[in-house]
Amino acid sequence: MVNVKDVKQRLEEVKKKLDETTKKINTIDFDAHWYRRVFHVFGASFIFYYVLPNANWVNLLDWINILKIWVPVSIVIIIVLLEILRLKGKINSDHFFGLRTYEKKRAGSYVFFAVAIVILFLFFPQQIAIPCILCACLADPIMGEIRYRFGEKQAYIVGFIACMFFFIVTWFKADFSLMILVSVVGAIGAVVGEAKKFWWLDDDFMIQMLPAILILIIWFGAPCLGLNPPVEPIIYPSVISW
Amino acid sequence: MKNNDKEYLKTDYSNLKVIKTEILLTPLLIIIPLFVAGFLINNWFINGFSKSVSSFNGELMLAIIILVGNIMFDIPFVSSMIKYKKILSQYKKLSKKLKEIKLFNKS
Repeated sequence: MVNVKDVKQRLEEVKKKLDETTKKINTIDFDAHWYRRVFHVFGASFIFYYVLPNANWVNLLDWINILKIWVPVSIVIIIVLLEILRLKGKINSDHFFGLRTYEKKRAGSYVFFAVAIVILFLFFPQQIAIPCILCACLADPIMGEIRYRFGEKQAYIVGFIACMFFFIVTWFKADFSLMILVSVVGAIGAVVGEAKKFWWLDDDFMIQMLPAILILIIWFGAPCLGLNPPVEPIIYPSVISW
Repeated sequence: MKNNDKEYLKTDYSNLKVIKTEILLTPLLIIIPLFVAGFLINNWFINGFSKSVSSFNGELMLAIIILVGNIMFDIPFVSSMIKYKKILSQYKKLSKKLKEIKLFNKS
């Protein structure tokens, strides 16, 4: 004979365990947090773009131009269209994993991230684009983690050092004074871009575009000061006949 | 962790479909940066190091930055995924058990 009391007790125990496990599952929202971080650092691999042979703006239907100009532009257009559909409610936000609460009624940060990267690829020299992309992909999540664990001030200090390091590494072929100027200005631009929050403009856009514009001004102004911006690229494009 | 509850859009995390995107993209998110870093290191070794050309040192530095940056964030991400999967399987087992007991109770 089965004791009804025993069954009820067992049922209660299982229910209790189930509640505990559900609670545990809900605390792993942290998962979305690491997902976003990994997505950010993954973006650094987009600099592979510069390994591809050089594009030219003359014959836009060349294979390499399609790959280097049209493909990135098309990807961004698709992302923007998907985002419009999500904001209009045609696609459920649940399909977009790791969205922040403020991104429910605003374009997601990945849209700004993608747009900024494509602008950098198409209109800026790689000496400017690469460190700016690294700032967004690596310095931004590092700052986020530091802010999360230690506080705002520490995050900006570490972020400034990290961004400066990225600019020094990528401008090591330039004159020493120009390298220092660029790394300080670039790092300030990136940290300000990250710190200044606008509802309508994401920091993922600002952290890339603000230092890029500041350094572009230095790039054109440097010859007036007798300094030469680096002519040699950081990543040499492959030589493949198309 | 409490901040995250407010920070991210609330979804039903016990639903496997939601986590599916993440699981599907994980290999790509981890392997592609490693491939790019490997490619740059290989480029540096073949064109720079073996020919004693210092111009390729920038590629090596970038490769190291990509490699270290990615590994730094990949480890906690993968461990959080493993943790999640473990708890999810525990949850499924318990739900099954509960159903069985309920059926038994009814009968």
